[in-house]
Amino acid sequence: MTRARLPLYGVLVLLFLGFLAPLLWALSGSFKPRGEIFGYPPELVPDPFTLDNYRTLLTEQPFGRWFLMSTVVAVVATTVSVFVCALAGYGFAKFRFAGKRLLFNVMFSSLSIPFAVILVPLFVILVKTGLGSPWFALIVPWVAPAFGIFMMQQYIVQSIPDSVLEAARIDGASEFGIFRTIVLPLLRPSLGALAVWQFLQSYNSFLWPLVLVSDSSQYTLPLGLQTLFVSEQRQYDLVLAGAVLAVLPAVALFVLLRKQLLEGLSTGAVKG
Amino acid sequence: MTTTVTGPSGLTHRHSDPDRTAHRPRGSWAPYLFISPFYLLYVLFMLIPVGVSLWLSLTEWVGLGTPQWVGLRNYRLLATDISFHRALGNTAVFVLVAVCVIVPLALLIAQALNAKGLRARDLWRTAYFVPIVVSPILVALVFGLIFDRQFGLANAVLKALFGTGGVDWLGDPTLARVSIALVMLWRWTGYLTVFFLAGLQNVPRELYEAAAIDGAGRLRTFTTVTLPALKPVTAFVVVTSFICAAQIFEEPYLLTGGGPAESTLSVTMFIYRAAFQRQQFGYAAAAAVVLFVLVFGLSRLCNRLLGIGRATS
Repeated sequence: MTRARLPLYGVLVLLFLGFLAPLLWALSGSFKPRGEIFGYPPELVPDPFTLDNYRTLLTEQPFGRWFLMSTVVAVVATTVSVFVCALAGYGFAKFRFAGKRLLFNVMFSSLSIPFAVILVPLFVILVKTGLGSPWFALIVPWVAPAFGIFMMQQYIVQSIPDSVLEAARIDGASEFGIFRTIVLPLLRPSLGALAVWQFLQSYNSFLWPLVLVSDSSQYTLPLGLQTLFVSEQRQYDLVLAGAVLAVLPAVALFVLLRKQLLEGLSTGAVKG
Repeated sequence: MTTTVTGPSGLTHRHSDPDRTAHRPRGSWAPYLFISPFYLLYVLFMLIPVGVSLWLSLTEWVGLGTPQWVGLRNYRLLATDISFHRALGNTAVFVLVAVCVIVPLALLIAQALNAKGLRARDLWRTAYFVPIVVSPILVALVFGLIFDRQFGLANAVLKALFGTGGVDWLGDPTLARVSIALVMLWRWTGYLTVFFLAGLQNVPRELYEAAAIDGAGRLRTFTTVTLPALKPVTAFVVVTSFICAAQIFEEPYLLTGGGPAESTLSVTMFIYRAAFQRQQFGYAAAAAVVLFVLVFGLSRLCNRLLGIGRATS
């Protein structure tokens, strides 16, 4: 079947521009002096080109601290959640036990609980029990994601044969030993995918930090940038520079691990 | 009740109940240990908060002192609160946009990306997915500038094409909703495309070949082969995008602040505003309970109707 592929590629290129143009415009704007950002027609290549926005941002704003806060929280939340998901996913994928169906349904139905439902009580509980410190409280919503467990369970069912586990059991390995030495290594690609996803969820989260963090020295990146965004002077130039810096780790992670991530994300959905 | 013995050929018997192949150790406490960390966190950070929300919704509380028991008064007030009605209505609009516009669009893009012998598939797929990984702040900032009445790109383009500009994108109630919908479209379409693309790549080739032999055209192949095969993926994507859109917060909060005249106020924004700007914790909790009942009920109903999330794989 040979068909003229031109219309197809035309559509794909248009979509490509549509999805990426706003980001390219932001990137180019971050190298322009404030007065030039709104120039029309929009110039893709900054002229005059300047690094002043980045310099000002890094010297006059606590950007480094925001970045540290965001990254540490995201790394801790990711580590905990990936481990929790792998354990539970394995439990659901490879064991039979009393109450399995009910427990699975309870886990799965938590996907249908919007975060806004627990926003107020979670805040109240953590603050009243003295656990409201951002270092702890910011990771809380991300540590037990049902979607991650579902994804792991699907992946384990598809990719780890029972015979391997049986052989290890016959050799007298302990259940946790089997998990650590056999299952985890085999799960590496999908753990990577889940980790990227969880990292991005935490790193880009906005509502929970907005509610929780009042001390500006503990702002995460989105909060810090928001203060520039809504400040009196509307420092668009700095926000653009900050947003570009903030997005770099996210995009880099994604581009490096996109294959595993895109495949991992769809594992649960396709077979579901 | 015993574990399946794998035959010498490495084949296991396929039972209708896939659970048969799962291991059941003697003294079977191992599986409970594996799933216990999740349930511990789940009880602490999900179940207890939902319970507290129910209790708080029956009280009046400013965040200090002791909550005052007021019974169902918060719910009675919500029933007549015009702002809450607006928030529900706007959120319903965003949900409809997600399910009726973004989902079909994602399916069409996936169909285009699934074309045989397509070059640079990975590049397209990656480019369309990128919007979901960027910070909502950047999204709000960039689109805030694009929709700006004086300097915005959107109006500049309109002026260049049609000679008219000065459209008040974020200042007009209807256009503000359209703007939010456009941002949602930009952010979520590529993400949902990934699921559809994976689903399309799993459609057995034989089905397409059979359709070709029957002389079905492209449209008929799509409706008789592709769509039925995609049913599980579509169910998943519809429910996921419904749940996401039902709790939308960042786009309206950052782009329009819920305005103009509450025309883009979402339920999550309403909850946030009540609790953290007006110190009405009981009232916010009641709104959260309403949201919970609506979203949880509807998505469980969808799951039941469409049959996803079965415990067995």
